[in-house]
Amino acid sequence: MKNENRGQIRIIEAFLAVLIIFSSFAISANLTVTQTVTNHDNLASTGLLALVKLDSDGSLGKYIEDRDWAALRDALNLILPAGIAFNLTVYDGQMQQVNTDVISNCGFSSEDIAFVEYVCASQGSNFHCYMIHLYLAVAA
Amino acid sequence: MKKCKRKFRANSSGQLLIVAALTIAIIISSTTIYVYELCRETNSTESYPISDIILALKQSTKNAMISSLANISKGGEKTVLEANLDNLSQTFRNLHQLGMYSLSFTALNDSQYDSGTCLSWNTNGSGVSSAYANFTLKFQRMTANIAVDYAVNITTTVAINGSYTRLEGEEKLVNLTCRVFNEDKPALAKNITLFYENLGNWVPVNSSNSLSTVDYGNGTYLLSFIVSTSSNVQVSAHVYDLRYVFVQANTTCYEA
Repeated sequence: MKNENRGQIRIIEAFLAVLIIFSSFAISANLTVTQTVTNHDNLASTGLLALVKLDSDGSLGKYIEDRDWAALRDALNLILPAGIAFNLTVYDGQMQQVNTDVISNCGFSSEDIAFVEYVCASQGSNFHCYMIHLYLAVAA
Repeated sequence: MKKCKRKFRANSSGQLLIVAALTIAIIISSTTIYVYELCRETNSTESYPISDIILALKQSTKNAMISSLANISKGGEKTVLEANLDNLSQTFRNLHQLGMYSLSFTALNDSQYDSGTCLSWNTNGSGVSSAYANFTLKFQRMTANIAVDYAVNITTTVAINGSYTRLEGEEKLVNLTCRVFNEDKPALAKNITLFYENLGNWVPVNSSNSLSTVDYGNGTYLLSFIVSTSSNVQVSAHVYDLRYVFVQANTTCYEA
């Protein structure tokens, strides 16, 4: 009787083990998805709203018109929350890069990088349109 | 020998099932991870709400309107507004991050506005430089097609009023109050230049006229200066707001 039941008990054990492994994977995967998406959404949204805020009084367009990349970097550093790494590139209407200096506060070490695309119309009397690509990541 | 084989089969049948079960577990787990990765990629492309995108695009149209009004108020052609908005619309078509965008517009034409602009610089103490256009922003993405209608009105208004007190001879001390508004809200001026009329010519007011300016910081400026004229003092204020929109207002100052 004991010998006959040994195999069945092993099968039950195996199924229990499979159940535990599977459920732990399922739960942990869901937790990770929620956290990652929340962080990613916040990062992109924060970046976009930072650009809108900077553009609301025409500062963003003025920095670009004046080719004042250091001031633009400082302004972004101030307006973005601490601990966010960024890298910004400015393109003109023909998608030619405008900024001659790197507009970034530090290197990216995170795998989770958010991307923001923004159209900046200058407020000056000579109208120019620029395309801005902003990459954001949580600084290590 | 047969007994031994049977025993081996009985012993190893459970182990085989265990291996099979573990294999299934690995397959299920890897499928879960794969689905999770796919979900993450899908979510990362829809990274912020549509309301944020619309806010950003509205900001760009507003800036384009400001730029056009700044140009036109300084003597530019009225066609500049439509040309700039066409340019902006073309740039919007190059945006592909979260979908396809198309911007159409209609510049306002009525009794006050011509091709979306209105420059009303009167002699009654008020001056208005304004631009107005209606927009339709169409936004197409995999999950939804959205059309948003909105209007952008950029208006810089200047209101001046003042009086003078007699000094010696024909000298008069003019006190002028100048108020600047952006979209009916008090706004700061970048530069105010005053002129007064003398023998049919407009003469700039400068330090030789003992010009003094008090900036109240809320869009109200008190300007005082001394002029020599025989009649009431006609004053013209030329104002640039912080957006470089030009507006002019004329008034006549009478004795207080």
